[in-house]
Amino acid sequence: MAVTRETAAAVRDVEQYKYGFVTDIESDKAPKGLSEDIIRFISAKKNEPEWMLEWRLKAYNYWLTLADEEPTWAKLHFPKIDYQASYYYAAPKREKLASLDEVDPKLLETYKKLGIPLLEQQMLAGVAVDAVFDSVSVATTYKKKLEEMGVIFMPISEALHKHPELVKKYLGSVVPYSDNFYATLNCAVFTDGSFVYIPKGLRCPMELSTYFRINEKNTGQFERTLIIADEGSYVSYLEGCTAPQRDENQLHAAVVELIALDDAEIKYSTVQNWYPGDADGKGGIFNFVTKRGACRGKNSKIMWTQVETGSAITWKYPSCILQGDNSVGEFYSVAITNNRQQADTGTKMIHLGKGTRSKIISKGISAGRAENTYRGLVRIGAKADKARNYTQCDSLLIGDKCGAHTVPYIESRNPTAQTEHEAATSKISDDQLFYCLQRGMTQEEAVSLIVNGFCKEVLQTLPMEFAVEAQKLVGISLEGSVG
Amino acid sequence: MKPSLIIDHSFGEAYAKRLGVAPWRGNLPGPKLEEWRFTPLRSLAKIAFTPATDDVSVDAVPRAVPLIAGAVRLVLVNGAYRKDLSSADPGKGVELSHGKVAAKDGSSLVALNAAYAPSSLALHVAGAAKKIVHIVSISAAGSEPTALHPRITVTAEAGSSVTLVESHVGLPGETYFSNPVASITVGEGATVRRYVSVDEDSAAFHLATSLVKVAGGGTYEAFHLGLGGALTRQEIRVALTGENANVRLNGAYALSGASHHDFTTVMDHIVPNCASSQVFKGVVDGESHGVYQGRIHVARDAQKTDARQVHKALFLARGPAIDCKPELEIYADDVQCAHGAATGEIDPDHLFYLAARGIDAETARSLLVEGFLADAVNEISAEPVREQFAADIARWLKARQ
Amino acid sequence: MALLEIKNLHASVAGKEILKGITLALEPGEVHAIMGPNGTGKSTLSNVIAGREGYEVTKGEVYLDGKDVLDMAADERARAGIFLAFQYPVEIPGVTTSAFLKTALNAKRRAAGQPEIDAMDFLKLVKAKTAVLGMPYDMIKRPLNVGFSGGEKKRAEVLQMTMLEPRVAILDETDSGLDIDALKVVSEGVNSLRSPERAFLVITHYQRLLDYIVPDHVHVLANGRIAASGGKELALELEAEGYAKYLNTAA
Repeated sequence: MAVTRETAAAVRDVEQYKYGFVTDIESDKAPKGLSEDIIRFISAKKNEPEWMLEWRLKAYNYWLTLADEEPTWAKLHFPKIDYQASYYYAAPKREKLASLDEVDPKLLETYKKLGIPLLEQQMLAGVAVDAVFDSVSVATTYKKKLEEMGVIFMPISEALHKHPELVKKYLGSVVPYSDNFYATLNCAVFTDGSFVYIPKGLRCPMELSTYFRINEKNTGQFERTLIIADEGSYVSYLEGCTAPQRDENQLHAAVVELIALDDAEIKYSTVQNWYPGDADGKGGIFNFVTKRGACRGKNSKIMWTQVETGSAITWKYPSCILQGDNSVGEFYSVAITNNRQQADTGTKMIHLGKGTRSKIISKGISAGRAENTYRGLVRIGAKADKARNYTQCDSLLIGDKCGAHTVPYIESRNPTAQTEHEAATSKISDDQLFYCLQRGMTQEEAVSLIVNGFCKEVLQTLPMEFAVEAQKLVGISLEGSVG
Repeated sequence: MKPSLIIDHSFGEAYAKRLGVAPWRGNLPGPKLEEWRFTPLRSLAKIAFTPATDDVSVDAVPRAVPLIAGAVRLVLVNGAYRKDLSSADPGKGVELSHGKVAAKDGSSLVALNAAYAPSSLALHVAGAAKKIVHIVSISAAGSEPTALHPRITVTAEAGSSVTLVESHVGLPGETYFSNPVASITVGEGATVRRYVSVDEDSAAFHLATSLVKVAGGGTYEAFHLGLGGALTRQEIRVALTGENANVRLNGAYALSGASHHDFTTVMDHIVPNCASSQVFKGVVDGESHGVYQGRIHVARDAQKTDARQVHKALFLARGPAIDCKPELEIYADDVQCAHGAATGEIDPDHLFYLAARGIDAETARSLLVEGFLADAVNEISAEPVREQFAADIARWLKARQ
Repeated sequence: MALLEIKNLHASVAGKEILKGITLALEPGEVHAIMGPNGTGKSTLSNVIAGREGYEVTKGEVYLDGKDVLDMAADERARAGIFLAFQYPVEIPGVTTSAFLKTALNAKRRAAGQPEIDAMDFLKLVKAKTAVLGMPYDMIKRPLNVGFSGGEKKRAEVLQMTMLEPRVAILDETDSGLDIDALKVVSEGVNSLRSPERAFLVITHYQRLLDYIVPDHVHVLANGRIAASGGKELALELEAEGYAKYLNTAA
């Protein structure tokens, strides 16, 4: 940007990542590295049924054959990951908590710092929270109230025991164990995550929420989330992520599966603020996530909204498989990269059913020396009569050291389908900036305001509490990018 | 990216021996190469091609090749210049020569061409060429599957201007693989207009590469038409190397039967203050497959770039496929870059409107298809060529009725 | 002490000198008009006072309440009380007029050590101000200046001025592109802000605006200098005789 002036805020250090603290809690860790024994250890720790262990081992053995298949097609550059140098299981030492009162007070303190209202009396009305700390789900609030309505919202490790038939039926049905390098790894070693089942016809009156936190050094986090919305039901699910500041890179390879049956709707919102590394690119989370939803039933709908501001590397494509006739997939994304961050993110919309519709709105903001890529696939199958897709990808560059890229794939096999794609690249104009400054705003306020305007279409799809947080995050993430 | 190449036997020792040259050690691009994901070469790789020879009996330019008013004609048969079939004089400002092929680049197809091209048809343009230069490349296989590697080099000196037309045709019923490479250098302030028509036979393979460099203040206007062939790819790589260069790259394809046609473009903005625009349109019928992939690359220094790209495709039946990948790769912030893409079928409301005016369905469809492709065809600034290409499209439409 | 004092101001753009020594003093409560033909530096003067990038002050001083303005960044000048009503207000997609106003207002309040304005109070305030200006309240829900007509843009500028209550307001060709009705509305808005604590610098090409915003002093800017100063009658004289004589003498 041509505008240069001395800002008082010129000196910014790593302290700006407000979630960068480490909680000092004794933890129960499996030995470093990955082997069949480790997988057996994890499975035994969780007291899993035999079929689960078999599935994990099948995934692990398949993963071993993928040694050379770690995806390289994304526009991302990072050193080769040593998968034997990580811990695959770390849990805060006290386990089997009967109630919130038994949760380690230090842990509660951590969540407080993160701004998650874990204790019921502190909670925002209407948000039920499942908190995953490193690998273990620590507490689920509002359990009782949800249970009365027939909603199942619990750690997936618990669901394996209490609702094995549901887990067995749906786990891996959207993202199979052989899906991709990172998802396969997740199948082998996932330790916990959230499980949600919304019964037929129920409009879940409160938003369900999970907060993920990586605390331990050298641990990977491999959570697995499974959400099933039965016929005619509705649920809005929120996911937030933070991690402490560490010089080493940490791996996060999650899998999220959503299933929407006839007339059901799932709204899945993420604010991802994992530690992005420092200004020179040291440290930060490697975020390799497979998120996919299946609109199995007719008229079903899945809507992904993501605000991606953290992580050193983001590799993430929340997708929709539109199987049911007249089902709808939507993807709204804001991805902000600053300093040395790299993001390659987008979506896949696979149209299989008749009359299926999808909409993609992507806003990429790149600053510093960051690289930001939108990568998306719209595929219209031969049977997807009258399918519709609309895609809009906008990129904003802040400064001349960053990159912004758009790589859409559009594959149509049906004459009656319509696809439409638009993409444009722009910058914050000097005129816009001066206009804001002339009204008394600081440079950073002005950038935050303009970028928030740029992202508005996406941010307004977020639930209220999240939207406010996301707006602030947009500003914070870009601090120091202009000036 | 890990390159994946087909181990290729067709162009090795024996092939080279028959040509009396050193064998090409390369491989054809494989399906795992990102740039070839929509256009696999499996069917091509199965065929053992022999080298094209000059001793084919082609004694006339096929009638399908249009006569362009006021144009001078230069004819290549299997890549070799045929003086007997060409006009005597290429006209003022254009010098014709034949040289050994020298230039190479990283692409394996260009290297293959360089290894086996008999010679290069070289045009040297100084000043303003009065006449349109019409290059006709004829593929003549005979009974055996034949591969040919035509090479065209155009050098437009600073301030010069020239209009080129290329017609790529083959003899009916023959199996051949044409692998033409065109190197175009547009000098400072020069203008090159180039209009390429690929209308190969239904059993033919045509994988063309155009390598274009445009210097400061230069203008390159091109239009590529793709009407047939079993498998055709027109890859056009343009580098804007000097400030205020201007490129308008457009194209259209109309496919029927089992034709596969691929437009791949790379627009490389290296320096500031350049503009490029691309309009590509296509219609697909039968079981055909249309591909457009276009990358706009804007380098760190290329501030004030204005780059645009659009691809729209229309289905005329149930059965064809369309794949599209428009790509922006932007490293400079003060730029205007945009792309758009759309697929669909003819708007039933439009058909109904025409029907209500008494126009029968087939005529109405033809009219609407011509109108749809006209957005791209109308970008051709040389009027006789625009009319000719529009007529070629009309002929294609008539043939499918 | 003058509220805004400009002393022998020289400024250039891309190495070319545009302002060649401007001296002006605006006392509190005064309205000064700057008139002149196109390309004589009128807009340059407003941009230099507001602190836009790309204008190099080569000589001279500007003081607001005795404080050196040229030392301040553009946003500091704005918070200190300099308001520029733009000739061409920019569009900011996605940012509602209301969000924009609130951010600007809070920036100013923070600088003055005041707490941020309460959301309800803010809406009440906007409602009142839009009513005074005869603007539809719904306008503040639209993205700033996006799709606004020429008249709406200028009204939005006046609304901002009303909300931010500047010490010195500079109106840069506010009359351009306005029909007579819009001109009246905008002028009434400006007049309602006239007060003994505030000064205005009205930059215009035509005398027409000055029928509605009656100035205390009129200056003719020609070739980067003040070629003549006088009372409001000078504007009428210019209207009748044109700028030719000033251009000639200045050349």
